[in-house]
Amino acid sequence: MTTKRLSIQRYLPEQSKTPFWQEFEVPFDDSTSILEALNHIKEDMDGSLSYRWSCRMAICGSCGVMVNGEPKLGCKSFLREYPGTISIEPLAHFPVQKDLIIDMEIFLEHLAAVQPYLINDSQDSNQTHKQTPAQLAKYLTFSDCINCGLCYSACPQFGLNPEFLGPAALTLAHRYNLDSRDQGKAQRMVQLNREEGVWTCTFVGYCSEVCPKSVDPAAAVNQGKVESAKDLLINLFKR
Amino acid sequence: MMEKRVKRSDEPIWWALFSAGGVCFAVFVPAAILFIALLIPLGLLPAETLDFERSRGLLFSFPGLIFIGVVICLPLFHAMHRIRHGLHDLKLGRDKTNKVIAYGAAIVFSLLALLGFVLGIM
Repeated sequence: MTTKRLSIQRYLPEQSKTPFWQEFEVPFDDSTSILEALNHIKEDMDGSLSYRWSCRMAICGSCGVMVNGEPKLGCKSFLREYPGTISIEPLAHFPVQKDLIIDMEIFLEHLAAVQPYLINDSQDSNQTHKQTPAQLAKYLTFSDCINCGLCYSACPQFGLNPEFLGPAALTLAHRYNLDSRDQGKAQRMVQLNREEGVWTCTFVGYCSEVCPKSVDPAAAVNQGKVESAKDLLINLFKR
Repeated sequence: MMEKRVKRSDEPIWWALFSAGGVCFAVFVPAAILFIALLIPLGLLPAETLDFERSRGLLFSFPGLIFIGVVICLPLFHAMHRIRHGLHDLKLGRDKTNKVIAYGAAIVFSLLALLGFVLGIM
């Protein structure tokens, strides 16, 4: 069986203040994913390696890492795709807790800030809401997000300013704003209209490139800019 | 956690000018360059196309005012918006200062162009 060299960035705060690189020679075939390679290292080579994972089929969004400097899901990237040594680092722009485990707290705060759930206070809100296929199509692609955080690692503006709500949160806000069953747009627009809302985005577009579920957050954020600009205009004439 | 200081950004105004300028940069500026900087100097159009009397008549008229808007003013806002955000990406200067200088310059040069127009029609 052929092998491949993996260079992994380790960080063990109880042993050393600085991260270091460790190399492993891992056996692989055409079907070996980065996640499987990490599992092999943990089981057979170095049990101290820490990383997050769960579903191994691009649904849970836990195994995001930087593979050769690009944000990737470990379960959806394969050793066969990379010639030479593969470097694995924790996701960029997040604080690192240990090895490949990042602190996602700020990301979760940003998600909560946009109230990503149906808001509907109408009388019949306890009844089943009907929705036509056309109404569903408006937001369907934006609802595939698995909260893996790859788009935050890809976003240079989030890297410069972590207060930026970021691609996934803004996309979810847009997804609920587009939902015919929802009435919470006015509440969410307050967050979108902020400097750290849609307006920190400079349409780099890398978020959409790295998204493992093809959600296209860049499109959602920029449609959000149009909504925010409209919101400003409407507010000018309201008073 | 959720209730941070909520202040509306003034970015939509600059973004709208940037977008309008982008359209002008894509459509009108290349056309202006094609005629003024290529076709006429290369002799593909007769030199009289833009002789003094003709160009003065064209510029100091209502279409001339629109020409100034779409070839000078709006592209200025577009370019300065890019420069301002480029400086932010390169971590150069403070954004508030960059903003005043960038859009201030766009406003000053736009007003100068319009002043030239007003002087021309008088």
